[in-house]
Amino acid sequence: MPDWREADGGIRLVGAHCSACDLRFFPHREICPRCGALEGVAAADLSPRGRLYSYSNVHVAPAQFQTPYVVGFVDFEDDVRVFGQIEGDPATLTVEAEMAVTVGVVRREGGDEILGYKFRRADR
Amino acid sequence: MTVRCAIVGVGMSRFAKQPDRTIEDIGRDAVLAALKDAGLTRDRIDEAFCGSSYGGPMIGQRILRDLGLTGIPITNVENACSSGAAGLRQACGLVESGRAETVLVVGVDKLTKFGGGTLPLEATDLDVANGMVMPALYAMRAQRYMHETGAKPEHLAMVAVKAREAAALNPHAQYREKTTIEAVLASRPVTDPLTLFMCCPSGDGAAAVIVASEATAKRLGAPPVFVAASVLQSGRYKTGRRDIGYSELTERTSKLAYERAGLGPEDVDLAEVHDAFAIAEIMYYEALGFCGRGEGSAFVAEGRSHIGGDKPVNPSGGLLCKGHPIGATGIAQVCEAVWQLRGQAAKRQVENANVALTHCTGGGISGFDHGACAVHVLTR
Repeated sequence: MPDWREADGGIRLVGAHCSACDLRFFPHREICPRCGALEGVAAADLSPRGRLYSYSNVHVAPAQFQTPYVVGFVDFEDDVRVFGQIEGDPATLTVEAEMAVTVGVVRREGGDEILGYKFRRADR
Repeated sequence: MTVRCAIVGVGMSRFAKQPDRTIEDIGRDAVLAALKDAGLTRDRIDEAFCGSSYGGPMIGQRILRDLGLTGIPITNVENACSSGAAGLRQACGLVESGRAETVLVVGVDKLTKFGGGTLPLEATDLDVANGMVMPALYAMRAQRYMHETGAKPEHLAMVAVKAREAAALNPHAQYREKTTIEAVLASRPVTDPLTLFMCCPSGDGAAAVIVASEATAKRLGAPPVFVAASVLQSGRYKTGRRDIGYSELTERTSKLAYERAGLGPEDVDLAEVHDAFAIAEIMYYEALGFCGRGEGSAFVAEGRSHIGGDKPVNPSGGLLCKGHPIGATGIAQVCEAVWQLRGQAAKRQVENANVALTHCTGGGISGFDHGACAVHVLTR
């Protein structure tokens, strides 16, 4: 199951929602990580925007990642935190900045570029 | 009625980059040193544990084969940075329950086999697939911690400077040259705001301890060090917000350890804590109860955690400078604590050392504070 989709002219992360305990979470799992429900967990969008909780500019990483690159934790509505890479100049980032979701190359495997979700400042 | 568990022997291999030696030889060095320290022959070992994260299958058997120490129960333990300490907890449990009299625990890893860089993590983990590396996780802790408390990169540098000062006095340490705040800040960036000197080095090493019942310890004659608490906990998986600038896992594990030992943070005379990155030590001052929340950076700035301070932390030089061969770390911390409690720590000796705490934690998995945490309280 893809963990993002295009919607309303933008990108939305797709996590899951548990109807038994009302937990929204990411990434999607078949079993609810809070109440353990085996049924009633369905795909669910996360809010379109989140707040940057923390971030770092990474200079040392395994070869499949092109350094330097920026990573961070983004907090979405309903208490969902997602880790990912951030596009744009790290000097423009601040803790608590409003972030949107985008898609880009996250790593390379062999000669292939692997696409995945990333974040960017919502106002730029 | 449970048996009181004592540490009767400790030993370490060299902690260094040793690409030309095998992991088996490095492990053997530590086991031989611990047997010699205990004054025990190999036939007195009832059972053995080997903690290693990257040593591969049957690492314990491969080390003990070369010592003729086979045919006994040997259990290999993998729990990331807590691998060795998790093995020690098993060993203490056997002695306390009377199921074994004398148990060997060796921790070992050889990280130069990866050729440098960050520790390899599992690609099936979502965060790892998206570019998470251990120094990035700690860098984000540092960034958030500084945002919330007003701490500065200079405070992170102070931890590294303190570690080098201690390591300069420790012949077992990997990096022994003193440094300055300016030099730490000017060392090359790894994951902002962490610079190279704020990160533990890659290296190879092993450490071993032998635990025994109090009765056996008394027969051996040397003044024993007692294990007052041996606690292991795992992280709690969470999909939402958590304060990454404070370790709930370390707080929970150490509280259990204090409770079992009947002691509190105020009773600890020295601690060996998991300073894999400089921010970690500041966070663990708080989670271990040595100071209040948000007070960690002032704690190091005021010199309280230096060898001459009121709560010496990492008198060995810690992971930052003594080195951090993953599986060996928890056992090497216990070696240092035992030497301190016996008064054998030479130039880095903490005065009036009666109670020591060792703490290791690690394992980068998405949704966890850390995978595992182990805390031991040792008394003399």
